[in-house]
Amino acid sequence: MHNRILAALERSQADYTEIRLEERESTSVAFRGQELETASSVIDAGGMVRCLCHDGGWGIVTFNNRDNLEEKVAQATQCARAAKSDNPIELAPIPIVEDHITVALTRDFRGISLAEKKALVEGYNRLLLGYSDRIVDTSCRYHDTFSKITFANSEGSFIEEERPMVVLGTVAIARDGDNVQQAHESYSRLAGFEAAQGREALAETTARRAVELLAAESVTGGQYPVILNPDLAGVFIHEAFGHLSEADFIYENPAAREMMVLGRRFGPDFLTVFDDGCTPGLRGTHKYDDEGTPTQRTDLIRNGILVGRLHSRETAAKLGEAPTGNARAVNYRHAPIVRMTNTAIAPGTTSFDDMLKDIELGIYACDAYGGNTELESFSFSSGYAYMIRNGQLAEMVKDVILAGNLFATLQNIDAVGNDFVWRHPGGGCGKGGQAPLPVGMGAPHIRIQNVVIGGK
Amino acid sequence: MDMLQQLQVQTEQVEIIQVRSESTKVRFESNSLKATQVEETSGLAVRVVKDGRMGFAASSDVTATEKLMANALESAAYGDPAPFTFPGLQTPPEVACYDSIIAEFSIPRLVEIGQEIMAYLREVDPEGMVSVDLQRRIERFSLRNHAGADVAEMRTPFSLSFGVDRVKGDDMLMVYDMQGTTLWETDFMAPVRRLAEKFRLAQRIVPLSSARMPVLFSPPGAVVLTYPLMLGLSGKNVVKGISPLAKRAGEEIFDHRITVADDATLSGRFSSAPYDDEGVPHRRTVLIENGVLQGFYYDLKTAARAGVTSTGNGSRSLFGLPDPAPTNLVLNAGETPLSEMLASIKDGVWIEGVLGLGQGNIISGAFSNPLALAFKIENGEIVGRVKNASIAGNIYELLRHVGAISRETEWVYQDFSQPYILLEDMNIIAKG
Repeated sequence: MHNRILAALERSQADYTEIRLEERESTSVAFRGQELETASSVIDAGGMVRCLCHDGGWGIVTFNNRDNLEEKVAQATQCARAAKSDNPIELAPIPIVEDHITVALTRDFRGISLAEKKALVEGYNRLLLGYSDRIVDTSCRYHDTFSKITFANSEGSFIEEERPMVVLGTVAIARDGDNVQQAHESYSRLAGFEAAQGREALAETTARRAVELLAAESVTGGQYPVILNPDLAGVFIHEAFGHLSEADFIYENPAAREMMVLGRRFGPDFLTVFDDGCTPGLRGTHKYDDEGTPTQRTDLIRNGILVGRLHSRETAAKLGEAPTGNARAVNYRHAPIVRMTNTAIAPGTTSFDDMLKDIELGIYACDAYGGNTELESFSFSSGYAYMIRNGQLAEMVKDVILAGNLFATLQNIDAVGNDFVWRHPGGGCGKGGQAPLPVGMGAPHIRIQNVVIGGK
Repeated sequence: MDMLQQLQVQTEQVEIIQVRSESTKVRFESNSLKATQVEETSGLAVRVVKDGRMGFAASSDVTATEKLMANALESAAYGDPAPFTFPGLQTPPEVACYDSIIAEFSIPRLVEIGQEIMAYLREVDPEGMVSVDLQRRIERFSLRNHAGADVAEMRTPFSLSFGVDRVKGDDMLMVYDMQGTTLWETDFMAPVRRLAEKFRLAQRIVPLSSARMPVLFSPPGAVVLTYPLMLGLSGKNVVKGISPLAKRAGEEIFDHRITVADDATLSGRFSSAPYDDEGVPHRRTVLIENGVLQGFYYDLKTAARAGVTSTGNGSRSLFGLPDPAPTNLVLNAGETPLSEMLASIKDGVWIEGVLGLGQGNIISGAFSNPLALAFKIENGEIVGRVKNASIAGNIYELLRHVGAISRETEWVYQDFSQPYILLEDMNIIAKG
């Protein structure tokens, strides 16, 4: 295959050509309630050719049949020529690398029987179901995937990489009459089967929370001071700010560029936000991005000031900045676009108790059900929450959905905690039809004043 | 011996699906053509029942049949009992979902259509950034099983999405739409003109204070109401006991003006096809009629669990097992002209879209969302766009009594046909 890739690149008529081939084997085991929904394996093999012509735009061909790469390159070149534009695309220079990245897994899941995987998931599912007779439905899922990716471009880079991933997810649904509540937890590592073992606490937490939510009242809508736990703070910074720092949002839009001008104050002095694709052990970590650019740590906000943004080669060239290793593709069906890797709020100095003590009436919002941004507006829902009354945590509340305007909200952060933690959630980020892309999130507790909480 | 025959010898039931599709895509970003893309997809998926247990495997490498069969049999060894049998050959309804005009669209023709849309939208605001995505697909789906089903379908889904973003100071405005069809619509500019009109209405920002007020949901805005309902009507959620509608068939759950049907037999709609993904013929399924709950949508497995027959709503991707899913979901038109509904509102809000659709505990019917695009209505007229507001409620309370339902309907998010819905008294939370 190595020689066929080089031959196809060699014959390309395009100004820039890249080929990405993927072979992926995955196994899934899923229980829903008492029932095993699936215990199965799938094979996914395919590739992508992407070409650039100076008088055109991107030409992209994706395929399952990898027999005739030269023909795919010719087709992609035609596509690139058809994408004529008065707005030419340039690529910022990156080092040419040849690399072969292999992984050593403590327990390689490819050698583990479906029976053992099923037994593991069945055990967790039994914990969920057995927690209370009010648990009426559960979902317990295990998924492993091993990808072999080959990336080569016409500049001479050739990278082969193995990417393993294990994901475990639990959902518990509790019911009391018409009152139906759910809770979920997930965990994922770029590691072997061992990462999915010994996770009984995950299942117990899920079941306990679903049952506890049955007794919680809906929150009363309004404006509150809110403390976000590290999980939710991580989702918040990813959703509310991270997406705006992806340079493809601004690189061809002068007004957006002005809004996101480097040097602008975004938050208080004690707020620092960064994206880091190279710290080992995190979900969004890779040695290179999907254009072959080495990953790095990029500070986005330093001491409250906007200092950086995330780039692909294309956006970096357009803005005259350096590529940051953030061009990522969810699989061979998609061209890489600007994405986050592991995004975090750097630790501050305030303890959780100090954040709590001067709140008369507020909300402690924990974990995230999901989040959504539309440019400056964002919304995210917490998995569970507590009222804060007179400086103390009080009763649990449900249906806490936080909404706001990015600029106002970042300015309203008035405390950043000293308890930073990286999280390894099993979900992923979606953008431009590409989901779920594994990303990491990190944060300490943070406190924000005047947050709008939706409610009846 | 082909795979079906080989597996039939070793198992009680077999089903093999094969997909083969080709697609071309054209993408315009920030007012200019950015990329064109060709996609070829192929794959095989197998379900078997061996010793009463279900197994599944899939592969996008169509030559890896030995591994595929081995994976399916291994999966069956650990599978759960299969409560149903695959259907035999059945006569499907006539459903128009293939159009040679779409099939023959070349990349230059797609570029031309995209340019026409872009040119129109660029007129709307010189500072706006227009994006347009067009995709035309030829989908071939075949299904064979041990019981004699032998389905071969060809469809031509065409999808079109377009939008305008505009940044002015710290105000960001995004207006977009997504359309889908399987038969070419000559007046493809109609939704583009509607979008441009919304953009014009959004130019002016007006203040709004928190209050209870009448809320008019436009067809895309009304998805915030139908999305939780879609989950409540799922046969799977009924079987699992988590749908609030379980065991309530025959009850009047909503205002008598509400009728909802799932219908994959409609001519030329995005999800129209003669068969579902399990070889069950499609049909029109009335889910709610005049406010009375009639039933739910099912695939083979959930139907068997519920003791009914599949409604032809089995839906799957190559790599997954089927689940019940709606196809084209139609909320019937009402009798009130939109102009009359608007005129009746002295002080209210018109909702076009929300953020975070589907987040929170929506199976219970509850939703709580910030408004993405919404207008203020004063004395029967739209006066401008409102910002930083949110709504919350529960559809199972709200839809018991609606103010009015419009005569006019629109297809939105490709698969939903919806009228305008007026709810007379909702809580709007606004900030500033």
